[in-house]
Amino acid sequence: MLRGSGRGAAAVLRRWASGGGQGSGSGSARPQPLEPSLLRFLVCPLSKRPLRYEEATNELINEELGIAYPIIDGIPNMIPEAARMTRKNPPPAEGSKQP
Amino acid sequence: MAAAGLCPCRALLACRGGALRALCGSVRGLAAGPETHFGFQTVTEAERREKIYKVFESVAKKYDVMNDSMTLGIHRVWKDILVHKMNPSPGTLLLDVAGGTGDIAFRFINYVRSIRERQLQRKLKDHQNLSWQEISESYQEDKSKSLGDSQVVVCDINKEMLKVGKQKAQHLGYSEGLSWVLGNAEELPFDDDKFDVYTIAFGIRNVTRIDLALEEAYRVLKPGGRFLCLEFSHVSNPLLSRLYDLYSFQVIPVLGEVIAGDWKSYQYLVESIRRFPPQEEFKAMIEDAGFFKVDYQNLNSGIVAIHSGFKL
Repeated sequence: MLRGSGRGAAAVLRRWASGGGQGSGSGSARPQPLEPSLLRFLVCPLSKRPLRYEEATNELINEELGIAYPIIDGIPNMIPEAARMTRKNPPPAEGSKQP
Repeated sequence: MAAAGLCPCRALLACRGGALRALCGSVRGLAAGPETHFGFQTVTEAERREKIYKVFESVAKKYDVMNDSMTLGIHRVWKDILVHKMNPSPGTLLLDVAGGTGDIAFRFINYVRSIRERQLQRKLKDHQNLSWQEISESYQEDKSKSLGDSQVVVCDINKEMLKVGKQKAQHLGYSEGLSWVLGNAEELPFDDDKFDVYTIAFGIRNVTRIDLALEEAYRVLKPGGRFLCLEFSHVSNPLLSRLYDLYSFQVIPVLGEVIAGDWKSYQYLVESIRRFPPQEEFKAMIEDAGFFKVDYQNLNSGIVAIHSGFKL
């Protein structure tokens, strides 16, 4: 009983840690990893340059542009509009800082 | 400034998170601006993309049933003909775009498996005096590599369609040599010169910038690779054309309402078929993208056509 509930809590935590509502898995608690054979073909749809698979976040990363494409239920989401910007401090937009 | 001009994607770095979408649009020339069509309505390109996304999101679960009922099952024959025309050998790498529900991918796998089986049988026949151990080894090899390194990548822009396809694959027991990618035909997430065959079946009609999709198809194909497109086309026989119109506009939306509870999506479907360029015009578009030996084959008097071209 105890072990079971502990495992449940761990799953919840894991899910919470992996970014909650980002649709990171309908049903399964553990995100499905990328199929290795796909890495032979996949590139960033914007720059057409190779991507790095980041196991920890289960994302495909374009270092050059600072974009991360999520892998949801084992399916890489290669739509740029759905991608995440990985740089924390992008340069401020022009004009916004002027008094 | 010069550097930014050389690599337009670098401009992405200079923008804030929220602006990513807007920039992506301008980088790719896919901005909302120019007007296009959605069925018989005039809409902006962005509106069209969104509307089409909703159509397929809403029909995904009933897609197969609807295809069967609208075509009396004939769509299965059309897809079989496409794969026979492709005639893939073991080792073929296929990219199936807009293939969310897996219809082409599963046929491709079946076809390659049967070719591979035939090859192995022939090999066994040629070596009559094999030991039982060699025979059992050959069967093991057959089991573990029934596709002979063939692979099919299904790429679709619609999450719901992919979800249905993936479930179907699990249900039917397809896993080896099959992968799924969410991506846009107008800016494919695949490297240059990678695939032997590119297929798009009943998909290109729904792509907003067909010219971009064709250029991308050309880019990802290996030299010698083949482009194959199965799509509704135009009927030239006037009598048949009248009957076909009657069926399309009077029967299909009703079937859509009765079976899928969705009149509008099927109304769009019929209208989009009429808006799609006729055989010769589409052939010219494929040639404009750089393909050689472009040809087409009408099926059922042009209700659908298979266009084929090669990257040389």
